[in-house]
Amino acid sequence: MALQSPAPASPAASRPPGYVPAAPRRRTPGRLSAAATPTRLRILMIILLLASLAWGAVGAWTVIQHASAAQDVVSTSEPLSLSAQQMYRSLSDADVTATTAFLTGPSESLPARQRYAADIAQAASDLTSLSDAATTASGQQLRSSLAAVSTGLPVYTGYVAQAKAWYSLGYLLTGGSLMQVGTEVMHLTLLPAARTIYAQENAGLVTASARATGLPWIVVALVLAAGIAVVLFRAQRWLWRHTHRRVNYGLVAASVVLAAGVLWLIVAFVVARADLPPAETLAQAAIDIQQIRGDQIINLISRSGDKTFVQDFHSVRSQLGPGPGTMLTDAAATSPSGGGTQWASAAAHDVQTWYGVNDQVYRLDSTAQYAAETQLVIGTGANSSAAGFDRVETDLSRAIAADQVIFHASATAGDNAFTGLEAGIIVAAVLMALGCAWGLSVRLAEYR
Amino acid sequence: MVQALSEGHRSVALRYRVLLSAVAAVPLALVVGCAGSGNPGSPNSAALSPGPGGGIPPAPASAPETLTETGSTLLFPLMGAWASAYHRQYPNVSITTAGTGSGKGISDASAGTVSIGASDAYLSSGDLVKNPTLVNIPLAISAQQVNYNLPGLPPRVHLRLDGSVLARMYEGTIRAWNDPAIAALNPGVALPGTRVVPVHRSDSSGDTFLFTSYLSTHYPAWNSAIGYGTTVAWPDASGSRAAQGNTGMVHGCQAAPGCVAYIGISYLSAALAAGLGEAQLANTLGQYVLPTPATISAAVASFVSSTPTSETISMVDGPASGGYPIVNYEYAIVSVKQRSATRGRDIKVFLHWAITTGNSAQYLDGVRFQPLPGPVVSLCDAQIAKIS
Repeated sequence: MALQSPAPASPAASRPPGYVPAAPRRRTPGRLSAAATPTRLRILMIILLLASLAWGAVGAWTVIQHASAAQDVVSTSEPLSLSAQQMYRSLSDADVTATTAFLTGPSESLPARQRYAADIAQAASDLTSLSDAATTASGQQLRSSLAAVSTGLPVYTGYVAQAKAWYSLGYLLTGGSLMQVGTEVMHLTLLPAARTIYAQENAGLVTASARATGLPWIVVALVLAAGIAVVLFRAQRWLWRHTHRRVNYGLVAASVVLAAGVLWLIVAFVVARADLPPAETLAQAAIDIQQIRGDQIINLISRSGDKTFVQDFHSVRSQLGPGPGTMLTDAAATSPSGGGTQWASAAAHDVQTWYGVNDQVYRLDSTAQYAAETQLVIGTGANSSAAGFDRVETDLSRAIAADQVIFHASATAGDNAFTGLEAGIIVAAVLMALGCAWGLSVRLAEYR
Repeated sequence: MVQALSEGHRSVALRYRVLLSAVAAVPLALVVGCAGSGNPGSPNSAALSPGPGGGIPPAPASAPETLTETGSTLLFPLMGAWASAYHRQYPNVSITTAGTGSGKGISDASAGTVSIGASDAYLSSGDLVKNPTLVNIPLAISAQQVNYNLPGLPPRVHLRLDGSVLARMYEGTIRAWNDPAIAALNPGVALPGTRVVPVHRSDSSGDTFLFTSYLSTHYPAWNSAIGYGTTVAWPDASGSRAAQGNTGMVHGCQAAPGCVAYIGISYLSAALAAGLGEAQLANTLGQYVLPTPATISAAVASFVSSTPTSETISMVDGPASGGYPIVNYEYAIVSVKQRSATRGRDIKVFLHWAITTGNSAQYLDGVRFQPLPGPVVSLCDAQIAKIS
């Protein structure tokens, strides 16, 4: 270290008796002049004051960024993503319920009618929250999809009502064709739009979640803190060496306050970082099984001998799995411990039995055995497609709910972790600045 | 696949031959760039017709154009007549037609290899999922009659049959024509003891869809055991026969005394010429009706106000008093996204012409089709206007 001793020459009242100034006013060739020491102390003080303020500003800014994103996740993005997911499932379930009731017979059961009505009401309510939240800043794709659901939903319910009216009057075929028209509105317009809405809202959640836990600002803040720590350390070492190993309490206090602030920030960040990506794979899997079920029914209603739906079934099935790289296997592997793993595995198991029923359904369809096919699709026995679908659906719903609980808890914890930190960092920065100012002005006073 | 009718499901070679003969049959106007041919001064009823043709240009583009059509064999003769007349009116537009079966018409239109596909049945959900740009536009009203081969019956007698009796004939539980169930419907008619020979289509067919629909609504046991579809698992009735296409049905029935067969109305003349009888069918009100212009139009009228904008609707067994029970639209299957603006325009103008000028008696009477009701024409125009 090239610094000259800053040892004071002036007697100080505060000093303990017997204090002997070290090397008073002795010039050492090649060393900095002792007369420069007050200047150096002043420069050091200015640097430390500025650094303290910079730490306060950067630290607080970092906290604000993360806290607002974490708040966003909990209060906006997560509920919207859930609403979108729920809207898709309500719409799909409404159609499955209406068409199943239709295939069952002309007199629709009360539970079926109530379930259909509840699904439509739920979808409409989710649509309202999603539309309310959409602003002009939302993507064009999201807004046009919301508009498609808004305009398509009454068209759909209109056709379903018309189909039921014809059917209940005994005109089975006309009712059937209108039900086909309604279900086509569902499958060609509403569900694709709802899927897009979910994808967009989920992307919003992923972005907010990434912002809450992203690195740039925390790295800047920590690098700055490390830089300040180095300066503080070296300043203290310098003072220590040249004041007969006396501790500068002001700088020590500043160091402690800095360390506390950094520690708090790191802990908060680590807690927030435990945020898991939302249960997207599971949600996609839930959407896919809804599609398989819906296709099976629409195929039975249209009775065209068409191969589209059986082909779609095989392609969706290969994405769903289970198997390496498939959704269900991935979901079981990536669910947080204590979360949906167990249920995702159960779904991966149960879905295979249901695939078997689907194969049987399409085999009957290809040989035009409609009565047996209908029985298998809408029957209520343990081996029916409805029962198989319900099992997989329940597994997935539980897996999603379990993951959701963990995600929500960690997102809330992340949000809470930042509570008070912003003020804390600012107070810490002010204390640091005061500590530095005090510690150095005590030394400076010795030169007066 | 799909509600294909008929001959389209024969071998590729045969289909190709049909196509070739069809192409040859249609005068291929190679008149190119005739001065002034773009807008002949002849009266143009399509263009002049007021009403909801918004978005449909009054005349085709002036450039030479060849539109192609494949599909329904029921519609094929009418399409040919329309193509000739349209070409006389607009010499720069030629239309080639081919009776390939409805399924081929739909798949060709879906693949974009033809401008217009013709189908006896509306698009299935599977067709739409595969290609959501397709629409089905009614061009005319068709019907299906039940014919039988009972030479001993006095002339001008039209046996009365209902869905229940027909279903039992096809399932093999009514085996002879003098069965009490048939006799009960036909008091005073001396029925022969001839064995019943049910004939059904061997190919995937819109006609089978219509006929089995009728059986399903009238005979619950048929609905639960067999159901309806473009193909069904026919019961193993002794002596039953399968035939390809409507022509095959006529010939098959002609060759088998005691036969009963379901045949598209544009083949009614051929069936009568072959000496087959034509049944009066029971409608939902228990009235026995023959497929006449009045009974067919009455049946369709009861559905007009319920027709959805996609015009997909089953009209079998409607509520109309005096209505014939098995009626349907003949559809044009078109993609609303055409490759060029000119092609889109020319298709729109032709389809609008077909449902207006082309719906006059001079074209429809030959095939016993009925014109579309006014409100349905409006719905068609709204769909035609979507083509771009």
